[in-house]
Amino acid sequence: MPPLARFALRRVLRGVVTIWFAVTVTFLMLRLLPGDPALAVANPNMTRETRQALLHQYGLDQSLAVQYGKYLWQLLHGNLGVSFSQSVPVTTALMDRLPWTLLLTLSALVVTIVIGVPLGVLAASRRGFWDRAVQLSGVVGQSLFVPSIGIFLLYLLGLKLRWFPIGGAYTENTYGIAWYGSVLRHLVLPCLSLVLVQLGSYVLTLRSTLIDALGEDYCTLARANGLGERKVLWKHALRNALLPTTTLVGLQLGFVVGGAVLTETIYAYPGIGRGIYEAVTQLDFPVLQGAFVLLSATVIVANLLTDLAYGLLDPRVRTA
Amino acid sequence: MRRRAGLMAGTAAVTVLTGALGACAPSKKAAESGSGGGAELRIATTTDVVNFNPLIGNSRTDYWLTNLMYPHLLTVGNDGSKRPSLATKWGYTNPTTGFYEIRGDMKWSDGTPLTASDVAYTLNAVKKDKPSGTLYGQLANFSSAKAVSPTRVELKLSKPDATVIPEVGFWGNVVPEHVFGKAGSVAKFANNANWVSAGPFRLTKVAKGQSYTLERVTPYPFAPGGRPTVSRIVYKVYPDVNTEILALKNGDVDAIANALPPAQVQPLKKAAGITVEEVPGLGYAHLAYNMDKKPLDNVKVRQALSHAVDYDAIRKVVLQGQAVSTGSSPIMPVLKQFHDPSLQEYTFDPAMARKLLQDAGYTADGSGKFPLSFRMIYSLQDPVTAQWATLVRDDAAKAGITIKPQGLERNTYLAKTDAGDYDIYAGNFAIMDDPATNMTLTYLPKGIINYSHVDASDLSTLVTKAQATTDVNEQKKLVQAAAKLVHDQVYDNVMYTQNLYVAHRSNWTGFVVKPSELLSIVDPQSLANVKSSS
Amino acid sequence: MTSLIESTAGTADAADVADRPAAAKATWDAFRRNPLGILAMVLLALLIVVALVAPLLASYPRGHGTAILRPPSAAHWFGTDNLGRDVFAEVVYGTRSSMLVAAGATALAIVIGVTVAVCSAYFRWVDGVMGVLVDLFLSLPVLPLMILVAALVGPSLQTIVLVLAFFSWPEVSRVVRSQALAVVRLPYVDAARLATGSPLWIIRKHLLPAVAPVIAVSVVLTASRAVLSAAGLAFLGLGDPNSWSWGRILFEAQQSGAMQEAWWTTLFPSLAILALVVAATLLSIAYNDARDPRTRKD
Repeated sequence: MPPLARFALRRVLRGVVTIWFAVTVTFLMLRLLPGDPALAVANPNMTRETRQALLHQYGLDQSLAVQYGKYLWQLLHGNLGVSFSQSVPVTTALMDRLPWTLLLTLSALVVTIVIGVPLGVLAASRRGFWDRAVQLSGVVGQSLFVPSIGIFLLYLLGLKLRWFPIGGAYTENTYGIAWYGSVLRHLVLPCLSLVLVQLGSYVLTLRSTLIDALGEDYCTLARANGLGERKVLWKHALRNALLPTTTLVGLQLGFVVGGAVLTETIYAYPGIGRGIYEAVTQLDFPVLQGAFVLLSATVIVANLLTDLAYGLLDPRVRTA
Repeated sequence: MRRRAGLMAGTAAVTVLTGALGACAPSKKAAESGSGGGAELRIATTTDVVNFNPLIGNSRTDYWLTNLMYPHLLTVGNDGSKRPSLATKWGYTNPTTGFYEIRGDMKWSDGTPLTASDVAYTLNAVKKDKPSGTLYGQLANFSSAKAVSPTRVELKLSKPDATVIPEVGFWGNVVPEHVFGKAGSVAKFANNANWVSAGPFRLTKVAKGQSYTLERVTPYPFAPGGRPTVSRIVYKVYPDVNTEILALKNGDVDAIANALPPAQVQPLKKAAGITVEEVPGLGYAHLAYNMDKKPLDNVKVRQALSHAVDYDAIRKVVLQGQAVSTGSSPIMPVLKQFHDPSLQEYTFDPAMARKLLQDAGYTADGSGKFPLSFRMIYSLQDPVTAQWATLVRDDAAKAGITIKPQGLERNTYLAKTDAGDYDIYAGNFAIMDDPATNMTLTYLPKGIINYSHVDASDLSTLVTKAQATTDVNEQKKLVQAAAKLVHDQVYDNVMYTQNLYVAHRSNWTGFVVKPSELLSIVDPQSLANVKSSS
Repeated sequence: MTSLIESTAGTADAADVADRPAAAKATWDAFRRNPLGILAMVLLALLIVVALVAPLLASYPRGHGTAILRPPSAAHWFGTDNLGRDVFAEVVYGTRSSMLVAAGATALAIVIGVTVAVCSAYFRWVDGVMGVLVDLFLSLPVLPLMILVAALVGPSLQTIVLVLAFFSWPEVSRVVRSQALAVVRLPYVDAARLATGSPLWIIRKHLLPAVAPVIAVSVVLTASRAVLSAAGLAFLGLGDPNSWSWGRILFEAQQSGAMQEAWWTTLFPSLAILALVVAATLLSIAYNDARDPRTRKD
């Protein structure tokens, strides 16, 4: 088997195992921890018969093993089941939300990289004041409590300065170009908060790997060859230092997608993090299971993309 | 070079994504271009719609939205009395037969007339399929319904029950037989597309987590000239109440449907451009002492507990004076035709509480503490109760009684409530409009919201008689006697009725205020009549 | 330095670095010259003092007051909340339980994480199983799972500590394991393996001291992350409602709609969170920089 195929096979296998693990953990947690979905969905005043009927409808009156087997079988056929609370297919419930989270997290990622790389370079190359300033602001950024900063930004830039709308992802009943404009205007504040909190980890990682790289032999060699410090930094050190940062992108993306719940709550952004939180409050087992499958898949895809990026960045991987 | 490549890839990804969103970006359709003018009213709510089927839905937003499409037979006045809506006349022809006469001029938005057979279909389908909404619970003594003419429906009861006609009329939404009938079981029908409405508006666009757009439907008999004044209603979702209020101040929404947190009422009354409306409450908050747990079966202990709560402070501080004492009676003053003003609220009197406990045979230790400890559950998603729960604990401590508040996530709270896993239950009911109905649910041994697990034969007799009596005066006597028993024996400790406040932009006028958060200013009649002055 | 971090974060068993006194001194000298590191240490010490002497600073916030949502004044330095309680007292007592939760969760996470990591590094067969498990855990969406478990089990101090620990140890394990693997391959460990048959002795005498700096950094980072996560959970209504934490102050401000109007109910607990997390993070960065001979130069 050619090495590339073997590599691909191993990645796919690992992906499948990861998804299976996420599904199993979620499945067991939902059923073994206390909580009755029939109570969550129905009116508290409902009668016993209604409740039994609901449990039967959800298939929760069957044994754990039967439920688990049925679920895996469904999953193999790409069927995520039907939402308890909304009576619609889980795929529909999730796909309503996912695009917005992807838009939010990806745009935040792009902005973070555009700002973060120069800042990291600045911190690594000008030790002393600039280094400390960048470090400090990076650390402060990632220590901010999202809801507080969110309300502050909404109050200042939304209510007082009226630069941005308050809440939502777009203005209803706008069409064409105006709709895109409203999407962009609604995106700015939530994106800004996400950038603020995640910028720090990128800048700090880049900084420390850059410092390591600058001390490596190949940089010393490049300097000895008469290359200017700027060239050494941007051409040689940065390319190598970007590798761990790329890994971070892969690792973080999955977390950000699920972890944007606080941001989405404050900004009334219709993303999947908020969707998961609502599914928890409704004990909507199928939607929760589906969401965890989706999130693990996101992590796997993000890691795969990271590996591809690795190949682009690292000549050793490329030629191998 | 490489960095630029990465950047470009990233930008490309975002562009592609925006494009993908764009694919589902709205395009203007002729039908939606606002048929003949009229403004758009944007209303904020804190939760999404969970169910578009009114027979299943339970959340506030579900109720507000589906009410604009599926009419109720009856509506309610500020004193809890039933008023005509779709039904013009209602009552009983004999103890086991009730009837509704309905209007002949209402139509579904697809042109099909709304007739008595829609009403009969709805009731029979709910009885058969047992959907999880409120209505099924009202149909315990209902056997079947039949449309005897296009405007008259008759209900057969399995035993005399005076509460069926008013309660079913008030709680039940009428759904179109020609749509729901094709869907099989009404308990499983999602009803999430191609809506048909007999209300002032029809849902046309759904964006989960973001907004719900409804367009005007004509003719609607309760609107001026049969035509709702605004062309479009948009419900916007703001999960956080702070963002919601900011959006109102900013003008991004015109009204907030949820009741305001008590502490925000005064500040918003003072805010420029915002009007605050008072909505009479129709429910109550209460403490239920679980009588299955010793020593709460002892009336002296329950009385001691009742004397160990500073009700005035709770109403003044937590509710900012926006609540009315019920005199420790389950029949609140707002239900004028039933209320008994002679019942007095238990005073906050730790000394009296101690004396009662001593009478019950308890002795306090050196530090003044009695060997009594109670676990009190409440929902953390209910901010008002969550706040007074700690006050109840601190007040009881003054009488030497230990109360351990246990704040729970809503689902755990419901599960524990259902299992009777608590000493004291703290919570509230949004609408307790009819004493006879409510007492059958709260005080009969098998009542589904009998949280104090009371099983007293004298009380049961009174309540059962009241339920079966269609004579209003006779019923009044019976429920008042029952309320006195509940008060004296502390079968339930009812603390207050909260009056609610909702806010809207001042340039909107003509809201019709109805009692309780469920109806409030967003009832169909209100929204069919609002006007924008700018 | 190591011992300071250890004692502040409340973990037991200060690692034995006695055999590296010169390195420790060099680290400390470098650390002392970093103003950010010193600032972080002072800030952290201050917060610990506040937590310890809370009763001397304010009386426990209970019951209710009459002045509701008043801005900061001489009587109430941080203003009052929606029940008229003193926000300053809430923040002071919040320091206690916020730090307690962080310390408890961290201690648990470190114990599990380090045990798994060290065993994985030393025993090959453990590594096969645990390595996969850690990888799997790391690819789980953490915050949604925390929300799920906290909601189902019911919010209390213990739940929060356990949930935070349960989802933090894999990260600790990953970091410590890679360091430990490097150490296990060193010749002196091989020599020790030949000299004694007891793996426990080798782990205690050689492996743990070698990974101690990494553990120290992990402690601080895990704790700071725990503070933020606990606040996030509390904000979603999944904190312990019976003890004052910074997250609970924010949750109550949110529930009562005070956040958008009464800035003081939000600002001060947020600043407290910020101070603790920033101090912890800066401390670990400064320590790392001071330990590394390459960055120590300037």
